[in-house]
Amino acid sequence: MEFFKDTHYKFLKIKYWAFALSFLIIAGGVVSLIVKGGFRMGVDFQGGTLVQLSFSQETPINQLRDKLGNLDLGSSTIQKMGGKGHEYVIRTQATGSSKQAVESMDNPGEVAQKIVDVLRDDEEKRQIAAGKLDLNLAEPSVVKNLLLSLNGGDEAKAAAAAEKVLEIKKGNSGLLKTIDQVPVSLAGVSMSKLREKAFIGRTAIQRTEVVGSQVGKDLRRRATLATIWALAGMMIYIACRFQIVYGIAAVLPLAHDVLVTLAFISFFNYEISLTVIAALLTIVGYSVNDTIVIFDRIRDNIKKYGTKMDFEDMLNLSINETLSRTIITALTVFMTVLCLYLFGGEVIKDFSFTMLVGVISGSYSTIYQSCAWVGIWEKHKQKRKEKAKLEAAQKMASEKTLPKKAEEAVAPVAPKAEAKPKAKPKAGKKK
Amino acid sequence: MKNLYAKLGFIVAVVALFTFFALPVKEKIKLGLDLKGGMHLVLKVQTDDAIKIVTDQAVLQMEEEMKKAGVKYDRVDRSGYDKVVVNNYDLEKERDMETIVKENFSDWTSSSSNGKYVLTIKPNVALQIRDQAVEQAKETIRNRIDQFGVSEPVIQRQGIGGTSDSLLVQLPGVEDPQRVKNLIRNTAVLELKLVQDGPVGTKEALLSKYNNVIPEGTEIVRGSAGREEQGFYLVKKVSAITGADLKDASVGKDEYGSPAVNFRLKSEGSRKFYKVTSENQGQRLAIILDGIVESAPSINAAISDSGIIQGHFTYDQAKDLSLTLRSGSLPASILYMEERTIGPSLGADSIRTGLRAMVAALLLVIIFMLVYYKVSGLNAVVALILNTIITMGALAYFRATLTLPGIAGLILSIGMAVDANVLIFERIREDLRAGKSVKSAIDDGFKKAFVTIFDSNLTTVISAIFLFQFGSGPIKGFAVTLIIGIAASMFTACYVSKVIFELDMSLRKKVNTLSI
Repeated sequence: MEFFKDTHYKFLKIKYWAFALSFLIIAGGVVSLIVKGGFRMGVDFQGGTLVQLSFSQETPINQLRDKLGNLDLGSSTIQKMGGKGHEYVIRTQATGSSKQAVESMDNPGEVAQKIVDVLRDDEEKRQIAAGKLDLNLAEPSVVKNLLLSLNGGDEAKAAAAAEKVLEIKKGNSGLLKTIDQVPVSLAGVSMSKLREKAFIGRTAIQRTEVVGSQVGKDLRRRATLATIWALAGMMIYIACRFQIVYGIAAVLPLAHDVLVTLAFISFFNYEISLTVIAALLTIVGYSVNDTIVIFDRIRDNIKKYGTKMDFEDMLNLSINETLSRTIITALTVFMTVLCLYLFGGEVIKDFSFTMLVGVISGSYSTIYQSCAWVGIWEKHKQKRKEKAKLEAAQKMASEKTLPKKAEEAVAPVAPKAEAKPKAKPKAGKKK
Repeated sequence: MKNLYAKLGFIVAVVALFTFFALPVKEKIKLGLDLKGGMHLVLKVQTDDAIKIVTDQAVLQMEEEMKKAGVKYDRVDRSGYDKVVVNNYDLEKERDMETIVKENFSDWTSSSSNGKYVLTIKPNVALQIRDQAVEQAKETIRNRIDQFGVSEPVIQRQGIGGTSDSLLVQLPGVEDPQRVKNLIRNTAVLELKLVQDGPVGTKEALLSKYNNVIPEGTEIVRGSAGREEQGFYLVKKVSAITGADLKDASVGKDEYGSPAVNFRLKSEGSRKFYKVTSENQGQRLAIILDGIVESAPSINAAISDSGIIQGHFTYDQAKDLSLTLRSGSLPASILYMEERTIGPSLGADSIRTGLRAMVAALLLVIIFMLVYYKVSGLNAVVALILNTIITMGALAYFRATLTLPGIAGLILSIGMAVDANVLIFERIREDLRAGKSVKSAIDDGFKKAFVTIFDSNLTTVISAIFLFQFGSGPIKGFAVTLIIGIAASMFTACYVSKVIFELDMSLRKKVNTLSI
């Protein structure tokens, strides 16, 4: 099977349309950022608290929001996670040096606890008021201690039962469904006794993340540094392997890819986190990879055809020759990233979304940014040379006889192919 | 032909080796916190505390030296955390002061003005104290974690060359985050001091008994709230013994059968303890933990080498307390800068979804390659599968940690590994179209594509290296799997694939066609 056999698409003919499209997307991103007041920064970069909770039953987000309003947490957001189960992520910001922020930093577990407490319904509140332990919220050691106090001090039995409870929770988003799931016989405890002392709440804490604002600043700095260094490293590498122009023409589109991807992140309201930065850098790597393959081919073709061919035609030829590979690779990478997006779970959804956009942008930018810029540069160089030639001719003409000047001036209109510039565009060192 | 067998043998050997590294997968591949569940903590050692302690000691020493030299003064105080201030000293004895400082306080710089004599700790000495404090805190925390029993904990000093005062603590598989956090952070400063008075309900009430002046050589400490010990105590400033005198601590039971902590003393400690207890029978001894009186039993008999701390503990609390006492006290208090806790069920979910995505990606790519490149596609599939095996083996061999982004890296490298094959196959197709023979098309295809593959993979590696350099745990995992995956793909796509083609050609008598 072959999708692209001997194609002759004139890709670069519509390069200005492509520029316009890129510009539109990036401008749209800027507008979206202005409207939304900047990116949604994850706790990684901003500092703050994140709590992921799972509920045993459908819980309307509005209800959660109302209840959280009772808690003085500063600005907080609630987001429903997709996938199975009823999971929510609640984020609060670290508000600098405020007392509350310091306290929440000091004891993040307590913030999570506070959030859970405020979300409880009346039935749960009654149970807690009666001094019962919420088995879904209790840490394994607490469960063990409870069983220990009920079974007359049999350490081993209590530990084994607590372990079993944890196993069951692992299989079900951290939740026990009913109290009957507790292996009472294993623990050596009677169910009625357990019921007196414990109940099953509807919430479990899946993860908590607390990042101090200082750490957030540090992580932000490190992410920026990593991105800048990666871009610089690549530019230097390509400049060494090809020409400085190619280095720039390969790296500028990376900025394009990053900007386009960021625009989509803003459109779809994803948040900037460490994993998103990792994805951005991977895209940078991938996009360069793509660019290099085509540049390699351009280098080959320059050797093969020299300057017999119009440079833009040569670019088009190189793009067409590698088109099959570009598309197939983009397709396979896209397929894998799509699998990641569809099946990879909620925790890395932001990562896979970023990759998804980036892969498309990366393939597109190789043709419509890298190649287009190289083409524009070479054309500019050629024009400059022709202009210089023309000026030289004019100078010569004016030195000879004045009246002939008009005739001479017509010369440069001749087809480009005939006007052979003396210096060949050199592309890279030979191996 | 012989050459070909050697190549085949080499490939089999490599694959066997990496399979050996990787199996059994469950044991050999180290899972990151985000997959296994556990805690990631960054904590800051408040090193000012350590300097404060040194300064406090200097205050006491200064008082002593001045008394010895017969220099009169009003008061010696600590100012800030690193200054000793002598108020209203005898100005005529300036020279004596200089001698005292010269002989006893070489780590300090001195200055005097307005009848105040000020000693400031030298910056390099302060730096050394800070450094020691962080190192000691690291060791203490390591002790506690080890005794608590966490497998493969990470306890590192952060910063370039491990110079910063923050520590990274990673505890995979920890299921009781709150308990462990308390365990780490407990300064566990144990002091046993003789009780002079108390407990009295409020501080003011206690002070009023002494005309609002704390008697010389004593101080006021708070009792544990909500128990019979609550209120305020007046105790001797000098400790009878401290945590440093302990030889061992273990969980035991008090006379009422509730959990308590038994301790035993080192020989010097027991001498001190014997002296204090025999001289002060009938008096009470406050057991002060982190500045709070846990209990204040009466001394009934001279005790030398052991004792018990009662404090209405639960069993776990008593266990954790004895553990912290055994591991020594922290030299400074600790502040949490960053904390991430991932529950075990979320980690299990992530593994499931990650694997599902990986299998789906693998299948999709395999089907695509087979359809698009026919029999040659099979070649790519073999390369891909070997690539996955080698990557897993390398991960296991380097003891690299597999994180959720790491799984994403693996999946991504599936897509990227195929790229090398695609590049080669497309070259071969071009050459075949140009009318070259199958053999030379294959040879040329591999040769020409290699440069491109090398160049393009290297750029991805460059970005991965910077990610590794600047990233934190999970991101590092991503960078590592990506780099390993790419390296493995160089081997499988450029070498293994070629050998498979060669094998195919040597098996066929006449090579006129290639299914590609």
